[in-house]
Amino acid sequence: MTKSVALFVTCLVDMMRPRIGFAAIRALEAAGCEVVVPEGQTCCGQPALNSGDRDHAMALAKQTIAALEPYEAVVVPSGSCAGTIRCHYPEIFEHDPLWLARAQAVAGKTFEVMAYLDEVLGWKPEGVRVDARATYHDSCSGLRELGIKAQPRRLLKAIDGLSFAPLQGEETCCGFGGTFCVKYPAISNAIVGEKADAIDATGADLLLAGDLGCLMNMAGKLNRKGSKVRAYHAIELIAGMADGPAIGEEA
Amino acid sequence: MSARDTIFARLKGDAPSKAEADALLIAPERPRVDEAALEAEFLARLALPSISATHDVIDDMAQLPAAVARYLESQNEALTLCMPPDPRLVACDWQGFTLHDRAAPDEAAAIAVARRGIAESGSLIFETGPTAPMLPNFLALHHIVLLRVDDIMPYLEDAPLPGVQPRAHYWITGVSGTTDIEGTYVRGAHGPRFLHVLLLRQ
Amino acid sequence: MSGFKDRADLALADRILKVAVERTAGTAEAKRAVAVDAFPDFEAARDRAAAIKDHVVAHLGAYLEQFEASATAAGAKVHWASTADEACRIVIDICKAAGAKSVARSKSMLGEEIGLPHALAEAGIGRVETDLAEHIIQLADERPSHIIWPAMHKTREQVSALFKAKHRSPHAEETIAAMAESARRELRTQMLGADVGISGANFLIADTGAVCTVTNEGNAELSLVPPRVHIVTAGIEKIVPSMPHAIHMLRMLARSATGAALTQYTTFYTGPKRAGDRDGPEEMHIVLVDNGRTKMREEGLAEMLRCIRCGACMNHCVVFRQIGGHAYGGTYPGPMGAVLTPVFDGLKESRELANACTLNGKCQEVCPVRIPLPTLLRGWREKSWREGLEPTSMRAGLSLWAWVATRPRLYRLGTGMAVRAMRMLGRKGWIDKLPLVGGWTRYRDMPKPAARTFMAQYKKERRS
Repeated sequence: MTKSVALFVTCLVDMMRPRIGFAAIRALEAAGCEVVVPEGQTCCGQPALNSGDRDHAMALAKQTIAALEPYEAVVVPSGSCAGTIRCHYPEIFEHDPLWLARAQAVAGKTFEVMAYLDEVLGWKPEGVRVDARATYHDSCSGLRELGIKAQPRRLLKAIDGLSFAPLQGEETCCGFGGTFCVKYPAISNAIVGEKADAIDATGADLLLAGDLGCLMNMAGKLNRKGSKVRAYHAIELIAGMADGPAIGEEA
Repeated sequence: MSARDTIFARLKGDAPSKAEADALLIAPERPRVDEAALEAEFLARLALPSISATHDVIDDMAQLPAAVARYLESQNEALTLCMPPDPRLVACDWQGFTLHDRAAPDEAAAIAVARRGIAESGSLIFETGPTAPMLPNFLALHHIVLLRVDDIMPYLEDAPLPGVQPRAHYWITGVSGTTDIEGTYVRGAHGPRFLHVLLLRQ
Repeated sequence: MSGFKDRADLALADRILKVAVERTAGTAEAKRAVAVDAFPDFEAARDRAAAIKDHVVAHLGAYLEQFEASATAAGAKVHWASTADEACRIVIDICKAAGAKSVARSKSMLGEEIGLPHALAEAGIGRVETDLAEHIIQLADERPSHIIWPAMHKTREQVSALFKAKHRSPHAEETIAAMAESARRELRTQMLGADVGISGANFLIADTGAVCTVTNEGNAELSLVPPRVHIVTAGIEKIVPSMPHAIHMLRMLARSATGAALTQYTTFYTGPKRAGDRDGPEEMHIVLVDNGRTKMREEGLAEMLRCIRCGACMNHCVVFRQIGGHAYGGTYPGPMGAVLTPVFDGLKESRELANACTLNGKCQEVCPVRIPLPTLLRGWREKSWREGLEPTSMRAGLSLWAWVATRPRLYRLGTGMAVRAMRMLGRKGWIDKLPLVGGWTRYRDMPKPAARTFMAQYKKERRS
């Protein structure tokens, strides 16, 4: 039976790296889904929520809920945006019974894309080949809010030719932290500097992760320090799109 | 309003139910202990680097002075001992020792009797009392502890003394140590640098 | 006083500090992981520890009354203080009544919180800090930079110089063991000669009236047994119902703090010396301190009252590991400090602490009592936003963005334009200087966005 799923693109993927959205669509379609991209979506409101701006977070949550609630399932190519919808929307509306019910309904059917492919659909990529050595960074929100750890690894293991180099401190925050990295750039830099060193020390060709914010932070630091490591969202490899430009490479 | 009244005015609420408090203690998570091998479990913990105590075994109380002498000689210490007026200790024959019952500021060695040993953690359990001062056990460089094998119990829950509490009930799980300078472990920060347990098999 | 960012910049520039913090916190992190792995079902044990503390906080008044009655029955005198100043005044009054010239103090973060060292100095009462790290801090006239290792920011060379300048018979050999020995010589006579011993409490046992202290050095016992008077200063949240409850918390505390099963010395003091006892104080005073705790309970910070001061949150915090404890500027550093400092120092003065966090959730993951630290920090951010304490530029920027983001058609137009503007700044695939987010491009490059947004490309694809 075909599943109809809505893709919540996320504002960062929309603006900075649309390939991730298309990779998600491609993988979901390969897994037998019919993918819809709802019109009314923009940003889930996480920057407002994490800055303490509750009113705007609430307005954006309402808009997102209204845009996503008609669909059977919602899939997001970002652990932190999926975490905002799944974990924080119900918190935002804890004193508003009407919206709480709607928030919970959407939260209950929202999934990070790799968790959805692996856990809900039990799907694995077939016939995908990437001859490279990769290292994986576990983005914090996905890891700790949604328990995303084994799912991307299971999917990536099904790719032919791909080998793995373990990353020292793979669960340690990269220092992105949303607005944190621009509010406290010096501290953020010290953190991502260590992360970039750890990535370089793996000897891997590719850096993979499940959140574009973290990837931009790490890839941007790697590029500044002259590293040769190339960065992709893991879904790009899983969808067979590793032949395209890595983050920061011209198309 | 007194500070007490101010605080209690903000903390109005139900008295806790004993059942609710007790329910929090059902089947506590704790280290596994083989209750059939308490002595071995206890000794294994005693030997861990975090405790690094030494031990010796005696079959009856008559062997105690010789065991203490053996230890002090192995440490190149004189047979001088701070010994509390515990009747079990006093009854032994301490010929050849210089004994005193008040600890000097630079006391070399003190002996004490532990009421319990706890296998879970390698802890020695003590209480203060008329024949059991506390200070010598913290001042001496060498802390020598007598413990009956039968007094080794599996868990920390077995440590507390029921009923009316003495001034101090204390657990000793190793020697005075510090990691306060660059995280480097140093033994004998303020108190004992060495802990020696004499297990009484009787 | 300089602001948080200035202090953080200073800390970031101090590579010696970085090494010192990494050495101690890194070791603690590794040792904790081993201890937690070896413990059967640490996750269930965390649930239980949180439930014990929540039970106590829910019935705090009744448990405090019970503790007061038991401690009084055991011969201790219980005092109550609403504020830090009140608590200090009570301690000073007891010292004066006892004719005390010198006090020996065993490290207590509550003592730091209420400013007791300063109050004793003002009252002209000599104070000897007996914890080795606190002794170093006292000689250097500094504040603690960690709640378990107050002198973690000091290198051995700095400690050596201090001891040589201040100890009567300092070490000759430049080893850490020799330095510790020098402190042992220096402190021992001072401890034995003190008139009053002051400690904090790790736990207060409601049904027995006992006060529990834990140390690895044995300095608490050496500070509290010889003097005539023992004063305890403790936060009112330190209560547990009974010994078995304390035992569960103790199993969590050392494992979370240092990775040890227990501290070397764990002592329960119940009242003063008894008839016939050969040592112990003649008087025992217990000063129970509110200092904002009842307010925390009422105002959404009840979960913070679970805290047992193990320091795991800071040992595992990426920000703390970069800037150390002093940069936080309060008594308590790290994630727990970022939650507590606004309670004591005011949100206006400390709002940066809640913001200087990536919300990565590691602190919550290692907290032995499952305090939702990121949620509590988000709570402070909200309060700060509501009260208009956040910078105008941030407020204006976020409001403008949200205004656009709640209008999807306008948003599509805006993002399309932003993408084109950004692309003009890029060379090859990267942008190395980007206005508005200069903090980003000062240290790292920004990938150049694709020519068109996802939404624009998707629409075009669908049409074709």
